[in-house]
Amino acid sequence: MPTEPDDDLVLTLRVNGDRRRLLIPANRTLLNLLRQDLGLTGSKHGCDVGDCGACTVLVNGAPRLSCITLAAEAQDAELLTVEGVAVGGALHPIQAAFHEQVAAQCGYCTPGFVMALKALFDERPDPTDAELNEVLGANICRCTGYTKILAAARQARERMNGRST
Amino acid sequence: MLPLPTFSVLSPRAVSDAAQMLTDHPQARLIAGGTDLLPSMKYGLFTPPTLIRLGGVSALQEISVTEAGGLRIGAGVTLRAVGRDVRVLSLYPALAAATRTIATSTIQAMGTLGGNLMLDTRCAWYNQSTFWRGALGGCLKCHSAPEGAICHVAPKGKGCYAAHSADTAPGLLLYDAEVELVSTRGARRVAVAALYGDDGRDWIRRAPDELLTAVILPPPPAGRVVHRKLRARGSIDYPLLLTAAAFDPDRGPRVVVSSVGPRPVELGGVAEAWEAGGVEAVAEAAYKQVSPLSTHVWPAPWRKKMVRVEVRRALEAAISGV
Repeated sequence: MPTEPDDDLVLTLRVNGDRRRLLIPANRTLLNLLRQDLGLTGSKHGCDVGDCGACTVLVNGAPRLSCITLAAEAQDAELLTVEGVAVGGALHPIQAAFHEQVAAQCGYCTPGFVMALKALFDERPDPTDAELNEVLGANICRCTGYTKILAAARQARERMNGRST
Repeated sequence: MLPLPTFSVLSPRAVSDAAQMLTDHPQARLIAGGTDLLPSMKYGLFTPPTLIRLGGVSALQEISVTEAGGLRIGAGVTLRAVGRDVRVLSLYPALAAATRTIATSTIQAMGTLGGNLMLDTRCAWYNQSTFWRGALGGCLKCHSAPEGAICHVAPKGKGCYAAHSADTAPGLLLYDAEVELVSTRGARRVAVAALYGDDGRDWIRRAPDELLTAVILPPPPAGRVVHRKLRARGSIDYPLLLTAAAFDPDRGPRVVVSSVGPRPVELGGVAEAWEAGGVEAVAEAAYKQVSPLSTHVWPAPWRKKMVRVEVRRALEAAISGV
């Protein structure tokens, strides 16, 4: 095992199912890795200090704020970004619900909300309203006031559990 | 964009390797969840040449039952995992409750228990961008404070009053928890009550080559411990005031208040106040003892008034078991 610090590191990971191998500086954040090195600009650059949630991605299934995560933390990890949520061109039920409920105005926060909710639904397929609120409280929206975002989250929950809305 | 400064990274797999690296690289900082460290580095509060990543040290991520019947929680266990563990929920509910008030659900999934206990002290004059701080000439705590810098909270003082903001500390103190500190010189245990100092610049009594590896909880006390957090919003925010109260029917109440100075403080004279006048007298004693300073954006006089309210609420809940 190396005991001398690495200024650069070779990172191997899977991003939305694709295996990637990159040489990056040690101080690269996961967000900059996605946006600059991989051209995946769906994860948004908001507050830059972990307050707003716009940069949320899933690392091995767990939500992470990529702006305050070192890319090094994703070594050998399975990464899911908003670009990988729709499968085969069909919107994920969370995305469809945001669309149908018009749960976005400027839309900058939307990818973060989608990913935070994806992490929740993957773990708890039928969450309570309180659990939805807790997760929505991790992300900041400065346009819609959350009412429509909560409506979208509820609609996604109902549809994904086979209940009509 | 707030760029991170340049640094190199070390990724140990074992506690002994991490301790050796910390000895070999005395200027290095440890990084676990990174939810406080990286924002602080983006704000230029410090610029370590090396970060030692603890995420790959699997031994730090275990929870086990001790021979004494308590719990040993690895420092690298996430706050979310602590808050959901059935043993923590049944034996130490105030610890589980505290983890669930920290920042947001996403940050709870990233941050660790050890990281929370090692959280830097915070101040409205310190946790700002380089540009913001530069306009005031820095402060006593700021890494790059120029000669003649003053404390903007207490301009005539020589100390730093940055507030201890670790949500889990007050409850752990009342559970009589200890932490394990490991270096190449060996391991030692320190009570959470003795872990912190009185100056916001030098708030943790840890040797520079020591890393916090575990929290050790003795069997829970007879009575109930209650954690309360006062904050501006129901999510995201750091505490404006932390209160923990314990009530043992045989031994009476204990009260800890935090986020009003560089360390959590167990209040004195609580037993006497309790004997003299019950909950109201304890709340009044707390009000007289605790004097928040302008380390937060919210006004200190209001936070002082809330000491009385929060202590009363915490103690009533501890007594009633609600």
